Amino acid sequence: MLQKSKLVLRDGTSLDDLIMRDSNEVSLRVMTDEELYKLEMEKIFAKTWLLLGHESEIPEIGDFIVRDMAEDNVIVARGPDGDVHVSLNVCPHRGMRVCLGEAGNKRVHQCIYHGWAFRPNGDFIGAPVEREKMHGNDVDKKTLGLKKARVHLYGGLIFATWDVDGPSFDEFLGDSKYYMDQLFCRTDSGLELLGPPQRFVLPCNWKVPGEQSGSDGFHTLTLHRSLMEGGVMGGTAESIYDQAPGMYGVDISCKQGHSLRCLEAEKTFKMFADVPFEGKSTRERLELLTPPGITKEMIPELFKNLSEDQVNQLATIPPQVGGLFPNVLIAFIFAPRTDGGSSGALTLHTYMPKGPDRVEFTNYIFAEKDAPEQMKRDMLQNSIWNTGTSGVIEQDDADVWPVIMKNARGAVSKGVTLKYKALHGHERPEGWVGEGLLYPGFTKDDTQWNWWLAYYDLMDAV
Amino acid sequence: MTWKTKSTATPDATTILRGLVSKKRVPLGSEIYNRILETLYDEAAALDERRIDDWIAMIAQDIIYQAPIRLTRTGPNRDRDVMRTMFHFDENYDSLMMRSGRLQKSAWAEDPPSRCRRFVTNVRIGECETPGEYEVVSYLFLERSRGDSPDNERTTAERRDIWRDVDGEYKLARREIIVDQSVLGMSNFAVFL
Ligand code: FES
Ligand SMILES: [Fe+2]
Repeated sequence: MLQKSKLVLRDGTSLDDLIMRDSNEVSLRVMTDEELYKLEMEKIFAKTWLLLGHESEIPEIGDFIVRDMAEDNVIVARGPDGDVHVSLNVCPHRGMRVCLGEAGNKRVHQCIYHGWAFRPNGDFIGAPVEREKMHGNDVDKKTLGLKKARVHLYGGLIFATWDVDGPSFDEFLGDSKYYMDQLFCRTDSGLELLGPPQRFVLPCNWKVPGEQSGSDGFHTLTLHRSLMEGGVMGGTAESIYDQAPGMYGVDISCKQGHSLRCLEAEKTFKMFADVPFEGKSTRERLELLTPPGITKEMIPELFKNLSEDQVNQLATIPPQVGGLFPNVLIAFIFAPRTDGGSSGALTLHTYMPKGPDRVEFTNYIFAEKDAPEQMKRDMLQNSIWNTGTSGVIEQDDADVWPVIMKNARGAVSKGVTLKYKALHGHERPEGWVGEGLLYPGFTKDDTQWNWWLAYYDLMDAV
Repeated sequence: MTWKTKSTATPDATTILRGLVSKKRVPLGSEIYNRILETLYDEAAALDERRIDDWIAMIAQDIIYQAPIRLTRTGPNRDRDVMRTMFHFDENYDSLMMRSGRLQKSAWAEDPPSRCRRFVTNVRIGECETPGEYEVVSYLFLERSRGDSPDNERTTAERRDIWRDVDGEYKLARREIIVDQSVLGMSNFAVFL
């Protein structure tokens, strides 16, 4: 028997009434409930590791960007020590925002209200008219810094958490690290963000896009059928459900809720269908079809930065789409272009909560730092055409989510449950090397259900 | 166009919004001004009436159609806020054809379609160096009604265009859409600006 949750809302509804672990259902009510939202902010967004950007955005000492950790605004800055610091953008004097711009370079951040000043690492410097001690009569300046978050750089990606003593970043990644490394830690110079992220707000709860980021592969066949109609993926408009392109592969996930869909390029995209991969070595395969974002020149770097098994996987069945719990979507995809080429699209999205019924979709677009400038240009276009604000794939996602949200408000509708009953169950494919929960074959509900179990675990924790 | 990635934290002068650059003004009320204004109205009507093929017919094959990201900036960098390193749209003729082709099939974002009104105002025109090309700066106010929502989605922008006289018709050769929002309030840009 599953142990009952200790989390009970004011009206007597328990977490088990919302996340039904015995029947693999989730009540639509989770999308609208304000009390639940407040708890999520404390138990998830003020606790777990959140993605805030990439260190290539702030290369110089004093460079800073301003980002959100849910509804908490933070300054992400490179200090004189060269390290990246994340501190709450709330002046400890009277609560004003210290940094009002989104990006810049400053050695001193001075609050415009009464002038308290802070270093890039959040340390308090002083208040104006020093002799009058406007920071307090007997107050130690060390106690007046901006609240600091714990920071971890992973492949240059900036992650932060308010949980100073909580799980390490590696513990957070768990078994997914082996696969994530293949995307984020594979080249000598690493990734580079091509420009500030696209940002837009959708009228829906963060979990509507969130649960999809738990590797909802199935929706591609219907919601994204324009990909098949446009001839990008295998199959034709008439044969979409027969051929089910992009559906067969190996989905991986872990109890932390992260997941990735690993797909063979030749079975996913029309333009690669005839590439002669049979009997080829790893290196030969990589030469024939480099992973998205990688050039032929970078192939030796893959062998240097990854294990042989990891490179083998990249060459045969690379991870392409997935997510990091709670709110990151990963799309490192082959993106065949209308002009015939393919240099891939590398994007990450965060779905930042902005209230129970608002979410900010932030779209970060990357390239490998050492890629030629023309390739970066192509990848930028691929990403913009397919993802984010105007992307032809994600336009349609952004169309669905607010409608689900509208439905969730109905007195009767909110009792409808989301179903996660198409389960495969963990199964290790023959010869598979990586760890984690593995789901070979047609993409099913397993990884998304694991996303909800990770949600349950954090919400249930005291 | 050569592409150079640039630091977001320390922007260079390419991030300044430049409105009308040409010094050779085409005066309001002149024949050319009136014809171009008419073209802008026709273009808005083609898009609002969802005659997408008519719109494509108004576009030159060498079009560059971009909508850079806006950032909020302070101090000495306060006017360096048009990030021409990242875009909401970054299109050429082929990609606009791809988008318009998709709209005729399963583009759920516009099926059912949104009902749009494009208000085009504050039109300023100047002559380009190339004869027959005109720099056209206009303001755009887009109201977009979707589904059964009584609240329109909306956005405002400045458009910096180049229109080219091709056999007596004006074709859009360049459009830079400077949106005013750093965070868009519209759920997607499935419509053209
Ligand atoms: S609120 Fe910042 S100095 Fe007073
Ligand atoms: Fe999608």
